[in-house]
Amino acid sequence: MSIEITMPRLSDTMEQGTIIRWMVKEGDTVSAGDAIADIETDKATMEMQVYDDGTIAKIIIGEGQTVEVGTLIAIVAEEDEELSDIAASAPDAKVDSQSSPKAEKVDSPTQTVPVAIEPEPAASIQTQEDTVVPSYGNGRTRISPVARRLAEDHGIDAASLQGSGPAGRIVKRDVLRAVEAGVETAAAVPPSAAPKPALPITPVSMETQIIEVPTILEDRAIPLSNVRQIIAKRLVESKTSIPHYQVTVVFDMDPLLDLRKTLNEQLADQGVKLSVNDFLVRCCALAMYEHHEFNASWGGDHIHIHGQVNIGVAISLPAERGGGLVVATIYNADQKSLRAISADTKALAEKARTRGLTVDEMSNATFTISNLGMFGVEHFTAIINPPNSAILAIGAALQKPVVRDSVLTVGYEMSATLSLDHRVIDGASAAKFLQTLKKVIENPATLLV
Amino acid sequence: MTATRQIEFREALREAMTEEMHRDKRVFLMGEEVAEYNGAYKVSRGMLEEFGPKRVIDTPISETGFAGLGIGAAMTGLRPIIEFMSWSFSLVAADQILNNAPKMLYMSGGQFGCPIVFRGNCGAGGQLGSTHSWCVESLFSNVPGLKMVMPFDAYDAKGMLKTAIRDENPVFFLESERLLSVKGEVPEQEYLVAFQEALIRRAGDDCTIVSFGRALYFCLEAAQELAKEGIECEVIDGRTIRPLDIESIVKSVRKTNYCVVVDQSWPFASLGAEIAAQVHQYCFDDLDNHVMRVHSDDVPAPYAYNLEQEMLPNARKICQAVRSATYNA
Repeated sequence: MSIEITMPRLSDTMEQGTIIRWMVKEGDTVSAGDAIADIETDKATMEMQVYDDGTIAKIIIGEGQTVEVGTLIAIVAEEDEELSDIAASAPDAKVDSQSSPKAEKVDSPTQTVPVAIEPEPAASIQTQEDTVVPSYGNGRTRISPVARRLAEDHGIDAASLQGSGPAGRIVKRDVLRAVEAGVETAAAVPPSAAPKPALPITPVSMETQIIEVPTILEDRAIPLSNVRQIIAKRLVESKTSIPHYQVTVVFDMDPLLDLRKTLNEQLADQGVKLSVNDFLVRCCALAMYEHHEFNASWGGDHIHIHGQVNIGVAISLPAERGGGLVVATIYNADQKSLRAISADTKALAEKARTRGLTVDEMSNATFTISNLGMFGVEHFTAIINPPNSAILAIGAALQKPVVRDSVLTVGYEMSATLSLDHRVIDGASAAKFLQTLKKVIENPATLLV
Repeated sequence: MTATRQIEFREALREAMTEEMHRDKRVFLMGEEVAEYNGAYKVSRGMLEEFGPKRVIDTPISETGFAGLGIGAAMTGLRPIIEFMSWSFSLVAADQILNNAPKMLYMSGGQFGCPIVFRGNCGAGGQLGSTHSWCVESLFSNVPGLKMVMPFDAYDAKGMLKTAIRDENPVFFLESERLLSVKGEVPEQEYLVAFQEALIRRAGDDCTIVSFGRALYFCLEAAQELAKEGIECEVIDGRTIRPLDIESIVKSVRKTNYCVVVDQSWPFASLGAEIAAQVHQYCFDDLDNHVMRVHSDDVPAPYAYNLEQEMLPNARKICQAVRSATYNA
């Protein structure tokens, strides 16, 4: 079976390409991976590779010619194929194999009405549409309804079948042949659990063997979930309307981690396990309480100082809930104990990932913490979650060479980057806030009172 | 077993009318040439003699007049049979038969029904030209309130005409001039054929063909031809267009997974289109291909013999459609 080489899409915006130079000539033997031509795209001149072993049977588009993406430009013969046969049956140059079927223009002078798609508008046998329906693009299997049902009943992956109907439509007999050929291996297993065959199964007679490369990645469009739409809208608003700036600080985490270890050991019996994040929520809340100007929102003609310290915690959602993230609110975090913060956070995260949060549970945060420490991220910056004026992006607590009391030693350090709204908070205030936060984190006993 | 005999389609029609006129004194026949001339197609031969001029009535050449007169008679208690020499001529009585008769029960709030039978030849008779070769089934069946019948053979012609005469609604009874001389088995005993009961004229597993009246003969011819190629068609005679026995059609298509509808009227907005739409609706998951349709060509009927034959939904076109539908083209 010969392999058709078509003009490849070498850039996202490429519509057509020009053959600058053929590096092979008819009759040359090629191996998969060989460069066979230089193609000029709208952006650059690139080498085109061949993906199969074989012999160049025919070059259809000559050097210097420009054709649409997808146009047949050459034919490669596989081993034991007669080159002359292929060359003889190959189309002549400049044949646009990609063009979709179009209605013939009728030149008759009496024809005043434009002729539509149907070649014979007055036809009494309504069968012609089969020949004029343009084929589907990638990723869509043409299959008749009953063939689809039969394939499902027999646990056959329809995409693996070769259709014998018009434009390759898979029809009933194709499925029945596959059933006879014993493709029904997956019948005992539910379809979803059935392993996808590594190679396309072609149970149909081998006279029309099709060379198909199994697709691993493919272009596809995923419709936006509501969460994704909201994320997109709010973050674009935030990033384009708020004058962001960032301040980074590094904390000595040894005292906090020591305290956490002690507390968790003591509370294990009660089923309490405090996370680093729980500590940080309380640290931030206490720092916010001291720095009122941080607990604020830009009000257009005024700055609104909030009367409550509510800390928002970013929670990522699992893929089965559509992915994305939500910000859950720990109300009055400055007045809550570590244990209460921990319990609140756990409950909200669990609810967000299973049932979803109520509007209240996602609203009224006055400051947000985004923590990627659990993924080993050392440092990142976050986008402010309006109407907040600041968000803290927390990295991982990592063991590092540190200087303590003028001695080089090993200790845990954690970097955190604060993103701020410059309309509300100036740099010096940010620095003071971080100073307070650093004091609290590095002297965590305060958290217990 | 009841005794049967071979009689012509036209004799079967006459027997139906005669039997019903004996049974019910309200029944009468009216139309052009039905009395003195024994009917333009000799359907009513001898009926004037048998029933007298009060019940077998010749009319002037005025469909508007006698169709309207019949409707009035039906509304006031009689059971008229109005013969159109050809359904082509019924078009001048469109206001009477389409705009009044089928709506009367509705518009009078149930006070007046319209138990009337309009009957006559429908479809190409053979070189009658564009204006006299009408297939009215698609055009007329669009109207709610009427029933429409298209008998295939003498047995159905008699049994269904008797049912039509007894029906409380206007019944459009479409005969074919080409079938009037065709003989068929008809029981000696009285019988009725119920409406909305389609019949399998030929059984098969490979493709369902749905049709009515004369076109069924084209279908059976095609089915015979296709059988030689190994395609066994199930030919379904719908028998009544309104009400339509879609259930029988669906049952067959669910078995065969393919469907071709053969309708002698024109393709656009037609009976064939309606059946195809319903099959797509009810059999979507059972279809291996879309429903295909065979109609008369979308042109006025030609006069020339060869062109008229080619215009009709003939066996060659049906074979082609079935092959295409079953991916054997």
